[in-house]
Amino acid sequence: MTQENEKPLIELNKVVKNYTTEAGVFPALKGIDLHIQRGEFLGIIGKSGAGKSTLLNMFTGVDQITSGEVIIHANGKSVTLHEMSENELALWRGRTMGVIYQSFQLLPMLTLVQNVMMPMDMSGLYHPRKSRERALELLEMVELSEHAHKLPTYISGGQQQRVAIARALANDPPLLVADEPTGSLDSVTADHIFQLFENLVESGRTVVMVTHDKGLMPRFSRHVEIVDGELIAPSPSGRRLGWGQEGIK
Amino acid sequence: MRPRWRKVFSDLVDNKARTLLVVLSIAVGVFAIGVIVGAYKIIEADMGKSYAANNPANIEIRMSSFDDVFLSTLRKVDGVKQAEARRVFGVRIRPLGETQWTSINIITMQSFEENEINLLVPVSGATVPLKNEILLEQDILDEFDVSSGDTIEFQLSDETIKTIRVVGIVQDSSTDAIDFLSPPLGYISPKTLRFFKQPEDSFNRLYATVETGQDDEDHIKSVLAALKDKIEKNDYFAWRTFHSKTHEHPLESTVNAVLGILMALGILIMFLSSSLIANTLSALLNQHLRHIGVMKLLGGRDEIIFRMYLVLLLAFGLLSLLIAVPAGGQGAYALAKYVGDKMGFSLLGYRIVPLALYIQIAVGMLVPLVAGFVPVIKGSKVTVQKALSGDLARESGEQAEKGAERESRTERFQLKLTRLLVDRGIRIPRPLLISLRNTFRQRNRLILTLFTLTMGGAIFVSVFNVRVSLRNYVQVVGNYFLADVTIGFAKPYRLNEVEQFALTDPRVASVEGWAFASAEILDVDGSNADNMDILAPPAESKLVSPLLVEGRWIQKTDVKKIAISESIYHTYPDLKAGDKILIKINGREEYWEVVGIFKFVGMEGTIAYAPYEYISREQNMANRSSSYRILSNNHDRSHQDILAKDIDLYFRENGFQVTDTTPGLSMMDDASESLDILIAFLLIMAMLTATVGSMGLAGTMSMNVLERTREIGIMRAIGATDFEIIRMVLVEGLLIGIISFGLSIILAIPFTYLLSTIVSYATFETPIAVVFTPTGYFIWLGLVVILSVLASVIPARNAARLTIREVLAYE
Repeated sequence: MTQENEKPLIELNKVVKNYTTEAGVFPALKGIDLHIQRGEFLGIIGKSGAGKSTLLNMFTGVDQITSGEVIIHANGKSVTLHEMSENELALWRGRTMGVIYQSFQLLPMLTLVQNVMMPMDMSGLYHPRKSRERALELLEMVELSEHAHKLPTYISGGQQQRVAIARALANDPPLLVADEPTGSLDSVTADHIFQLFENLVESGRTVVMVTHDKGLMPRFSRHVEIVDGELIAPSPSGRRLGWGQEGIK
Repeated sequence: MRPRWRKVFSDLVDNKARTLLVVLSIAVGVFAIGVIVGAYKIIEADMGKSYAANNPANIEIRMSSFDDVFLSTLRKVDGVKQAEARRVFGVRIRPLGETQWTSINIITMQSFEENEINLLVPVSGATVPLKNEILLEQDILDEFDVSSGDTIEFQLSDETIKTIRVVGIVQDSSTDAIDFLSPPLGYISPKTLRFFKQPEDSFNRLYATVETGQDDEDHIKSVLAALKDKIEKNDYFAWRTFHSKTHEHPLESTVNAVLGILMALGILIMFLSSSLIANTLSALLNQHLRHIGVMKLLGGRDEIIFRMYLVLLLAFGLLSLLIAVPAGGQGAYALAKYVGDKMGFSLLGYRIVPLALYIQIAVGMLVPLVAGFVPVIKGSKVTVQKALSGDLARESGEQAEKGAERESRTERFQLKLTRLLVDRGIRIPRPLLISLRNTFRQRNRLILTLFTLTMGGAIFVSVFNVRVSLRNYVQVVGNYFLADVTIGFAKPYRLNEVEQFALTDPRVASVEGWAFASAEILDVDGSNADNMDILAPPAESKLVSPLLVEGRWIQKTDVKKIAISESIYHTYPDLKAGDKILIKINGREEYWEVVGIFKFVGMEGTIAYAPYEYISREQNMANRSSSYRILSNNHDRSHQDILAKDIDLYFRENGFQVTDTTPGLSMMDDASESLDILIAFLLIMAMLTATVGSMGLAGTMSMNVLERTREIGIMRAIGATDFEIIRMVLVEGLLIGIISFGLSIILAIPFTYLLSTIVSYATFETPIAVVFTPTGYFIWLGLVVILSVLASVIPARNAARLTIREVLAYE
């Protein structure tokens, strides 16, 4: 095992995020310490407004931290997110992680295959012809190859989310981050999507998922609960404990 | 195609209305620039070439009758290359069966075959009229329809009416080129002179070209001076001279000045359309914020996003060029042809002007780049969080980065105002309040829309004001021509004799006999600086109401004193009343005192007034005159027409040799008509600015409604009817229209002053008094209201048509 593999994939150390509002400073995250190991399927569970999406935004680099640090050890490099520029972050993110949102965030003017090709086009990791082949393979994987040339509006919500997952896998990233990916789907479709994530974890990927649905807790390899910007307790059901050296403080 | 370019292509074709709006707004400006630059270059090249192609006379001298022998003498004057003599006289013509006469000047050519100066270009029919046949210049077609083979009637000064056959229509771009108000021309051979009861072998005009320096004004003037000297030394009398360069149409500078004004307006339109583009593009970027966020999430860097939108901008530019270049080329040629037809020169054929094309390409590609640069840079630099926050914060139920936004100043003001009104028992309906609030929600967009619409309105209104100011100035100039009828005789008659006859008509109030003299203004070294016509009304004349710039008007006792028009400043910029200038009059060089300087039309050359009492005495014509001004009690045009006709008939019946009678206002009407060409140009530009302005408003309203589709859905879900939705959007559009109208009223004031100064210098060479007219304001108000309603009602109806489910699902 290399030295890198001994380190957690994601390290969040004393991460604080404050929002300034009319009413004063609103602390969204209050000194979060969290380590996520490779191969984990981590659920971040919390009610609406608890800070779970903000936490997710901290290690996707979508939002800036107020204090603390976020370090990602991936692709043979360790990067401290808040030290990177927006441009560096964009490229790094495109190559290192796939992000999936509740609202799918597909580009409505592009066909499914073009949507899946987009991360490869942006990162320049694949030749255009190769990227098309790969996009079709990924769509095949999510069982949507027959819809490859349709626009997103012509397929169902569940299908759109599968396209979003295929797109997240386009650059073969080690980490997938999903923000309420089943939030707007019916229970059968949601289960199908969840199975997809489970399969991805089994194939060695790390998946971090934000959800408000406590019913999903048993299906994560580990989960943490966030309340008012603080992680409150470790999951007793974690299959592979990954709290880092100190666990949750 | 790579997904990024596929996206750019989709952005271009998916929202056709938006693409069309952007493309058209660029195209309008590029078209305007193309038309003006193209016309400018075509006119510049063709006006001179076409003018020179007919070997125009460098010198024209209108003089007392002379014969072939004296013509030979004049041909020998140093510097003269060619000299031809013509006999020019006026008659009235009309088509058979018509009652309305048209005055024309008939030019008798010595020989059509050997004609070398002021060549005629055949348009239709024969090019050489035989005995008792006539050719007509094509300008006559503006007066009535006539073609080769037709027979027309003409009337001589002795009342005789005869018929003559028109054998051809020709174009003469040289004769009278300096004066586009001159009457139409006809051409006969010397054999036909007897038919018109004109003396044979006798000429009254000399046309000459110079041997060298055909484009050297000083040289031409020196040859002219030598010719004039020869004429005077041989006891002939030259009463009017003209000189012009071979390769420069005499009206070229005027045409260029007018095109210059149009160019300035074209640039303004370009400027306005770029503000419209900036507006549309920032709205587009706003709508695409989520897309940008997603692309950045997937690894898109600033430069990739920037490049994608840059290509989109270039595509907008290219599409606009596809419309604007061919349309601009056609427009340029049409404009040049219109000017050519009016000025009497022909074009050398349709072509695309390379300079216009390059400028169009540069402007068409640069304007969207410049206008879109800031929105695109801003859009490409937006953070993922900001780009996605709208959606994400809402959907995950969390707060946006900065938390709840503070109310803006405008919103606070509106709230305070509403409370104030409620306290006083005045309640503004809720939908109206929403409209008011919506109007000010997108402040930057509102500012740009208001800017475009206000500028468009201000230019539109200014054009109407300038139009009235120009007409007003023509009226002012008319103060020098207050007579109701001017009657000219072939020979001088005694003042009391003409007066006695005229006053027998009860409509005639008074009669004045005027004298005329021609003089040269000399430089201190004795060389010719300018020509000057001296008009000599009785000093107490009521028929001249001068607009004095300084000094006083002429007096009965004045000897060797003149009041002179402002164009003297070209020769003597520092001249003041009381100064003396050296002039050559009746072959003598004399110092005359300038007693006053008055405003006039610079294009008409330098004119001066001296008292009849002195000039007639000097000309041995005391108490006699061949030109009379008749004042009536009724000054309207129709009355003048009838009086002129009756007076004309009455004097002829009593044995007077009448050459012409002219209603006083006819000259003014002609002058106004010529200004109408300019006004028509200005109005076209005003309409283009109005188009850009209205496109701006339409774009803004559709963007506003589009961005609020979800809001509209929510309002409908809580009970708002289609009518209320439409009314809300309409009120918003109207409000923008009315605010812009208010601003236009203010901005139109400096614009009017600026435009009228530029236009008046170009046309009259003097500043004119500015007059404001409500017409432009009313028309613009009407247009703005209609445009606002149209611009709002279409997007509002579209929004109202959507079902609540569709609207709430809108992204």
